[in-house]
Amino acid sequence: MAQTWRTEAAHRSFVTQMAMHPAYQRIIGLGPEVIPLILKELEREPAHWFWALYALTGEDPVPSKDRGKLDKMAQAWLKWGQEHGYQ
Amino acid sequence: MAINSKTRLEALFPQLSSSSYQIKSPATPQYNCIAWAAEEDDRWWEPVPVPGYYWPRRIPREVTLASLTMLFQRLGYRPGADETLEAGCEKIAIYADFSGAPTHVARQLANGKWTSKIGTLEDIEHDLEGLTLSDYGTVAQIMKRSA
Repeated sequence: MAQTWRTEAAHRSFVTQMAMHPAYQRIIGLGPEVIPLILKELEREPAHWFWALYALTGEDPVPSKDRGKLDKMAQAWLKWGQEHGYQ
Repeated sequence: MAINSKTRLEALFPQLSSSSYQIKSPATPQYNCIAWAAEEDDRWWEPVPVPGYYWPRRIPREVTLASLTMLFQRLGYRPGADETLEAGCEKIAIYADFSGAPTHVARQLANGKWTSKIGTLEDIEHDLEGLTLSDYGTVAQIMKRSA
């Protein structure tokens, strides 16, 4: 599903549109059990998984100065994962 | 540039194959077309109301033509321009789908061509029509500012 989403939504200009892709929605629909897999995917290759992570956790670990900076956003979420026992 | 990139882009944007365009960068998810139109390439500008993304303050966080128009007005652009190359002017073009929802932003270059960051894919230099008749729809608005 992750690969399908990467391939089919890659040309979309806004995360708003990417996150509406059926594969992305199905991943969110798997529930909190998918959080470790998303974090692993984020570590392997940073991509726009932040909508899903926010939807699944309600958390916002990205500091204001790093907003929009993909690698920093990924680092903030990976740190959050470590602090919450996901890795 | 890998042949796969051209094949993929032309599948997504069939009009490209019959127009003149060039791939100018590797694919990257680090920035999007709005950032690129605003001449940034180190962060993703996103109106989505989900924490973590950059969006200028006091611009509505919604994917609407009004919101993007307000954003580029903040950057000094004014609506009501056309796609011609004008000395002393910089231009951006906002694409929208059939419902009027914005889908993409391109920026005009000094040679009259347009530069676009395609989602998480490459930057390309192209004609405005090259991205039409696709998921990006058509050009809904062109704005300009003094260079």
